[in-house]
Amino acid sequence: MFPYLKEAVAQVFGKPSTENFPAVIPEAPDGYRGRIIYHPDLCINCGLCMRVCAPQAMTKTVVPVEDGEQITMSFNMGSCTFCQLCADFCSRHAIEMSKDYMMVVEDEKDLLVSGTFIKKKPVPKPKAPAPAAKAAEETTETCAES
Amino acid sequence: MIKKLIENSTAKSPWLYHINTGSCNGCDIELVAVLTPRYDAERFGFKLTGTPRHADIVVVSGPVTLQSKDKLIRVLAQVPEPKVVVSLGSCPRSCNVFKGSYSVAGPLDKYTHVDVSVAGCTPKPEAIVAGLAKAAEILKKKREGMS
Repeated sequence: MFPYLKEAVAQVFGKPSTENFPAVIPEAPDGYRGRIIYHPDLCINCGLCMRVCAPQAMTKTVVPVEDGEQITMSFNMGSCTFCQLCADFCSRHAIEMSKDYMMVVEDEKDLLVSGTFIKKKPVPKPKAPAPAAKAAEETTETCAES
Repeated sequence: MIKKLIENSTAKSPWLYHINTGSCNGCDIELVAVLTPRYDAERFGFKLTGTPRHADIVVVSGPVTLQSKDKLIRVLAQVPEPKVVVSLGSCPRSCNVFKGSYSVAGPLDKYTHVDVSVAGCTPKPEAIVAGLAKAAEILKKKREGMS
C-alpha cells in the first residue's frame, strides 16, 4: 500500500507530464533536419542536388540577362523528404539544414525556399598574338639585352 | 438558447477525423502522439472521432493512392460543412517520393481544397498541434461566414 501512496503524493505535487507547448516552444535536438537554408552566393550551379533529390523537390529557372544568366533555385519544403542528401552532395556547402520545424502554412508558396544569383559569362580569352610578331618581340628583347 | 450553447461548444471543441490514404504510417504515429498525454491536444478540445459525419477537421496523410482515391472522395463528401482539410506531411501536398508512381493518383489538392498544410517528413508533434490550432481558427471563421 505504501509505495502506491508515495507515488500518488509524488504525482500530486510533481510537474505534469504534458509539455507546455504553445507557451514554451522546444528546440529540436542536434542533427535535426528541418527547413533548408540556401546560400545562393556560394552556389555554382552544378545541379548535383537536383540529381540526388528523390522527390524532385527543386526547380531551377534560368533567365538570360546582360552579363550572364540569372539562376533561381527553389526548394519546395512541401515536397522534401529531409534526407539531407542535397546538403551532403553540395561541394560548396550552399545547402544547409536548419532546426526549424514549424512549417505550418495556408498558402503553398510559403513553403518555397528560394535564392537567386547571377552566373557571369566566361570572359573571352585575349587573342594570342601572331607567332611571327612573337618571334620579332623575342628578337628585339634579346637585342636589347646584348 | 440551446442552439447557441451547441454552437459555442462546437466552436471550442473541433473534432478530428483522420484518413490515411496510403501513408507510410510515420505521420499517423505522430498524429497519435499528439493525442497522447505528452502533447495532449485534448487541452484545446481536439478529439479523434470514428466517423466523418461527426468531424469538423479532416486530417489527411499519405499520397492519394489509386485504391484509396474513391474512398477519400466519399469520406470527404460525408463531412458536414463547414469543414477544414489539413494535409499532414509532404505526401498529400506533393506525393513526395511517390511522385509519378503508377499507383498514385495524388496530390490531394486535385480532389479538395487544402486549408492548412503541415510540412515535414514527418512533422514534429509540436508542428501538428500548431497546424491543428490554425485549422480551428479557420473553422471558426468559416462558421461565422456561414451563419
